[in-house]
Amino acid sequence: MALKPRQVLEAMNEYYEQYPACAGRSIHKLGQEASAAYSRAREKIARFINASEPAECIWTRNATEALNMVASGLKISKGSKILTTSLEHHSSSLPFVERARRSGMRIEVLRAHNDGTFDIEDWKKAIDRTTRVVSVAHSSNVTGTVTPLRDIVEIAHDRGALVVSDDAQYAPHHPLDVQSLDIDFSAISVHKMCGPTGMGILYGKMELLESLNMFLVGGDTVSDVRFEKGRILPQYLPPPAKFEAGLQNYAGAIGAGAAAEYLQSIGMIEVEKRERELLTIMLKGLKELEHVNVLGPEDVRVRSGLVTFYVDTVTSAHDIASFLSDEYGVMIRSGFHCAGPFHYQLGIPPARGTARASIYIYNNEAEVSRLLEGLHALIVTSSQEETH
Amino acid sequence: MSALSRNAQCVLQILQATGTLTTSEILEMARRTEYAEICKDCAGGDTFVAAANQLVEQGLVTKKLGKGGYHWQIVRR
Repeated sequence: MALKPRQVLEAMNEYYEQYPACAGRSIHKLGQEASAAYSRAREKIARFINASEPAECIWTRNATEALNMVASGLKISKGSKILTTSLEHHSSSLPFVERARRSGMRIEVLRAHNDGTFDIEDWKKAIDRTTRVVSVAHSSNVTGTVTPLRDIVEIAHDRGALVVSDDAQYAPHHPLDVQSLDIDFSAISVHKMCGPTGMGILYGKMELLESLNMFLVGGDTVSDVRFEKGRILPQYLPPPAKFEAGLQNYAGAIGAGAAAEYLQSIGMIEVEKRERELLTIMLKGLKELEHVNVLGPEDVRVRSGLVTFYVDTVTSAHDIASFLSDEYGVMIRSGFHCAGPFHYQLGIPPARGTARASIYIYNNEAEVSRLLEGLHALIVTSSQEETH
Repeated sequence: MSALSRNAQCVLQILQATGTLTTSEILEMARRTEYAEICKDCAGGDTFVAAANQLVEQGLVTKKLGKGGYHWQIVRR
């Protein structure tokens, strides 16, 4: 969860205070203003990820919904293979596991190395001519490792498979160019990129979106619904409308657009550079602390702005998060991070879990030092025999 | 006092039946079959720990930092 800049809050307030109307359906003045702002927000998102047109960007509630839309709506024949990995967030594996179960497809799980990296040769072996979909996180929310997506897309396309990229962790921290990478579908969660909660984006190539079945249908998805000979006959609109059923989160979309614009005003190269500076300090500091085990590679060039770790002297990562919050005002996440399979692969049981410290553009060196100071204090106390 | 959540009842029941436990011990107990009826949340344990912290705020449980991490104990009245 990223903090929200004033620009995002002001954009959302402006909607509620000055034109709190339904976009696209109301013809009055406020409706027109809302429609214009809503439309501009989609354009901002398209620019942010370099989609070829705004209509390729569908508003969703989160990346999870976006991934479910693809898993549920793709036309894939029975017996086809879906490939995912052991490193995935549950949101990029479970929708495909369920689709495979329901539709009689095979699902194969490519095992990541324990540091969260992959060998490209493993991808070449795993993606075969029966593979129809590859669902993969562009950047892991556990190890922070960045997947070699360009190579994976090339292999997949060569063998007739589509690539669904979970960009929830990647998009906020790196420049994302969906056209250059030739990604078929991409899922983004706005709350991680300085935007409001409960907003996500599904990107899809237009020809794929046109053939994708809808996950939800209803108001605003149709050009006409006729009633003939006792039958209801809908005519669906082209994307994005056919996927955006019912009243939308207009303020959320406008906030998402403002977040994308904000990040682009800084420049995603600059965001990436700043995070790597802080990441270098954090990794170095953690390495110097006895009993701390960091997941993922040391090379910050293949990582996003987070570090996941566990401490030998602390039996549950929740204690690390509780202590840092209570005593040092440092907020980190603990548990399985919705990535159970990878934790089980590493032999980390649920009761232990891992701790994850995330950094973003608004963090500074002093805050990284505070985290390290708190961890040091915790290690000292948790190593002692007597309780205090 | 507001009604206790299911997760809070889970933590209370475990601590009542045992004694002082570490966080990981509570989470391990929560996955045992004898608590399966009441302890039904995510294996990652976030929600149980959050519930345990609420019990501390309500004065029903204490937590102290010591060897291995936090040690939780029910407040006997």
